[in-house]
Amino acid sequence: MNNEIPVQMIGPQGEVMAHAVDACVHCGFCLPACPTYALLGDEMDSPRGRIVLMKEVLEGSLPLADAAPHLDRCLGCQGCVTACPSGVPYGELITAFRGWSEPRRQRSPLDRAKRAAILKILPAPKVFSLAARVGQHTKPLAPVLPAALRAPLDLLPEQVPAMQPLPQVTRARGPRRGRVAFLAGCAQQALAPNFNAATLRVLARNGIEVVIPEGQGCCGAAALHTGARDEALRLVRQNLAAFHPDDYDAILSNAAGCGAGLKEYPAVLHGLPDEARARALAAKVQDISEFLAGLLRAGELEPFLPASRPLTVAYHDACHLAHAQGVRAAPRELLRAIPGVTVAEVPEGDLCCGSAGTYNLEQPELANSLGVRKARNILSTRPDLIASGNIGCHTQIQSHVRRAGSRVPVLHTVEVLDLAYRGEL
Amino acid sequence: MTPRKTALFPGSSAPLPRSASTPDNALATELTRRLGPHKVLSRLSERLNYRYDAIQFGATPLCVVLPESTADVVTAVRAARAAGVPIVGRGAASGLSGGAAPAQPSVVVSFTRMTRLEIFPERREARAQAGVVTLAVTERARPFGLIYPPDPASFRTSTIGGNLGENAGGPLCFKYGVSGDYVRALEWVDAEGEVHELTREAYDLAGLLIGSEGTLGLITEASLRLTPPPQFTRTLMASFADVGACAQAVSRAIATGAVPAKLEFMDQACVNAVEDFLRLGLPREAGALLLVDTDGDDLDTVEEERALVEAACLEAGGTVRRAVSDAESAALWQARRSVSPALGRIRPQRMNEDIVVPRSALAEVVREIRALGDASGLPLVQFGHIGDGNLHPNILFDPRRESPEAVHDLAHRIALVAIRHGGVLSGEHGIGTMKRPFMREAVDPLTLAAFRDVKRALDPAGALNPGKVLPDEEGEPHAHP
Ligand SMILES: Cc1cc2nc3c(=O)[nH]c(=O)nc-3n(C[C@H](O)[C@H](O)[C@H](O)COP(=O)(O)OP(=O)(O)OC[C@H]3O[C@@H](n4cnc5c(N)ncnc54)[C@H](O)[C@@H]3O)c2cc1C
Ligand code: SF4
Ligand code: SF4
Repeated sequence: MNNEIPVQMIGPQGEVMAHAVDACVHCGFCLPACPTYALLGDEMDSPRGRIVLMKEVLEGSLPLADAAPHLDRCLGCQGCVTACPSGVPYGELITAFRGWSEPRRQRSPLDRAKRAAILKILPAPKVFSLAARVGQHTKPLAPVLPAALRAPLDLLPEQVPAMQPLPQVTRARGPRRGRVAFLAGCAQQALAPNFNAATLRVLARNGIEVVIPEGQGCCGAAALHTGARDEALRLVRQNLAAFHPDDYDAILSNAAGCGAGLKEYPAVLHGLPDEARARALAAKVQDISEFLAGLLRAGELEPFLPASRPLTVAYHDACHLAHAQGVRAAPRELLRAIPGVTVAEVPEGDLCCGSAGTYNLEQPELANSLGVRKARNILSTRPDLIASGNIGCHTQIQSHVRRAGSRVPVLHTVEVLDLAYRGEL
Repeated sequence: MTPRKTALFPGSSAPLPRSASTPDNALATELTRRLGPHKVLSRLSERLNYRYDAIQFGATPLCVVLPESTADVVTAVRAARAAGVPIVGRGAASGLSGGAAPAQPSVVVSFTRMTRLEIFPERREARAQAGVVTLAVTERARPFGLIYPPDPASFRTSTIGGNLGENAGGPLCFKYGVSGDYVRALEWVDAEGEVHELTREAYDLAGLLIGSEGTLGLITEASLRLTPPPQFTRTLMASFADVGACAQAVSRAIATGAVPAKLEFMDQACVNAVEDFLRLGLPREAGALLLVDTDGDDLDTVEEERALVEAACLEAGGTVRRAVSDAESAALWQARRSVSPALGRIRPQRMNEDIVVPRSALAEVVREIRALGDASGLPLVQFGHIGDGNLHPNILFDPRRESPEAVHDLAHRIALVAIRHGGVLSGEHGIGTMKRPFMREAVDPLTLAAFRDVKRALDPAGALNPGKVLPDEEGEPHAHP
């Protein structure tokens, strides 16, 4: 698309944005992939429309405040990236745009406070755990709270589990075949500590030593995608210091959003001094399922014990795994490797579940519609188990599946593998 | 805010955010009063997004109406007429001729929320509102053992209204026909805001509306013929030293009685673009690549037809590869499907031409266009539905590096080659604004006068999609779109 974005005035992130706008030929192939377009049926809430809006704002012909409502409705799910035949890096565009526009936005003091609170709480496991407990006690108040405050409460599990401290090094069981670094994640440590425990057990069982490098923090994705660029840069640099790519066979994450976040570092640091380091780090990053599927394909994965009965597992593609990282086959291959397990494909599987980081908190109504739709689509496969590879999807799906009256367990892919190893599936 | 249902996907229940500001012109105010704020867009941020299609940007509309029913369309048309504002119909805006991009400030009627779709298996028929996405018809009909064959490459995105507006085709149209061939009846709104239902009895007025690019009326619903899918499909790929041999093979195969479902060709530049992109192992040295599907319910006939095509290819000096499995067929077709993204990697933009020429002239036409491309210095590739002689020469360009004038000039020369060889300007993408300047060269004055009479009869005030299809009456300069 022709554009006159004043790249010189914006700097390296301007280049990132202008390049994405350039590449879009406004063909509209991305429209059917976009959840907000599916719900609203208007062009401003489609990927193509948002690209035009961003272009107009950057060129100075549209006030930011006018474009903002439509850009805010973007889930950042990157369904459009998968669908785009021209390879438009929409994810980089919207991330860079949010970083550029946030300081220029007029927000109410309440709004600012809410965003600041989210960004403080989410990345700090201990604070999050505490907040979750407080939230739990507030649940009875939910019906009288405004929607924006009610939404996060709806998502809390009935029991907020106790925090489990993580060992800095987990030794391989049997002869050591590899050594990886692990990003422990933040909110997930509080909400679903078993994800990490299961991950460590499965890796150890396969002869992989796992190091959780000291000094690591939140991957920065939440800050980045809400436009808090300075905060994001701080976290990115902190992790660049903590993870030394040369020391490990791989740097693993078991949260799709965090893995995608780490892989985004080069774009974030584009044109800045640490760009090369970011590239080296990103090149080593893998989702846990990619890494394990690598072992599987090489014939090196410890075999699973068969499931106790034939099981249908509905596998949900987390957007940040399928669209942002392009990881689709690996988790399915792993689940199918468990004797007795059939993987069910979910109708409209490419459509986001509505969780999308802080989206639940910022666009509760749209998030809710998408959650309802996702639960219905998943349950239509009559699954015995639901698996996915992301904490956000996990809470959203669990909450909506329960509301739809189903008790089907919702697990992380690696939890399913862990159960299979233990003969408990 | 009261939650409202949109009809876009069955069961979606998101509340529609409403326009926050008050409308900034009288027409928008009036329409908002009559239709409610959810169906009328009047803010700049909203209107800016309804000025383009997949090929060009036009004028920013005065307001946009998102009708949910035929009655809403009637309201929009009447109000626009009363205000003396032109009306532009819009589907998914995936059009490639500028049809949905307003030539002047207008009311844009965007059909994306008119998505009611009913399947009547006993009649082998679908009743679809204009905004139904093309692929959805087949998806919904398939459980009843039926499909809707028209298959433009854009079928995941484009709408039935837009398909009928352009009379869209696709690879399957050699055997199965184009969109218009599947229409049994049309409901449409005329320039005065009256609703009509047309079947194909007496005068084929439905046929007149199909392909009229929104210049004669707005289609609101259509009854579409469905067919059972063929049970068997067989695929082959053949490579030839040059396009002449490829065209010869196709003509020979058709003469021997084969009716393949798809006959697609790619020239050498196109093959190399795809190969650079995906490394599928395509023969880079081939002057032309041919992809063929034969299909039907009787496997022997399907195989026989493939054998006829194969023999014709070999006779023309080609090298043939048969797909032995569905997976291999899919792999072979991946080459054709990947043309778009592959071209996007060479230059960010492209002008997608859409000429049709007699098959006998094909080799000569492809050669002439190749020579024009080489002389212009612009990257050019050719591919298309060779069975119908429908070619898509694509001029690739980067607006920062190449001048739009040069691109437009080359497009014009390409159109002239088609006309000189007894061809036509458009196979399936329409005339829109892109090819309007070439119409005088393509259509004789008497026929053009008849077109104008039809337009005047149905739209005397010229309110429907002005500036499209028909060139202006007075000597219009060859304006760049
Ligand atoms: C990558 C790509 C591949 C394509 N491949 C093909 C292909 O293989 N074959 C093919 O034929 N086309 C193809 N197209 C072109 C385009 O998709 C078709 O022309 C399609 O039919 C347009 O449908 P739409 O809903 O997007 O209509 P739009 O682009 O919105 O509108 C097209 C025209 O129809 C009019 N119109 C829209 N709705 C109505 C209505 N309800 N009543 C009256 N008029 C209306 C508009 O005013 C406009 O003139 C392709 C496009 C792209 C981008
Ligand atoms: S599919 Fe890609 S090129 Fe086409 S409109 Fe969407 S982002 Fe742009
Ligand atoms: S990221 Fe998701 S919500 Fe945002 S434009 Fe792309 S498809 Fe739509």
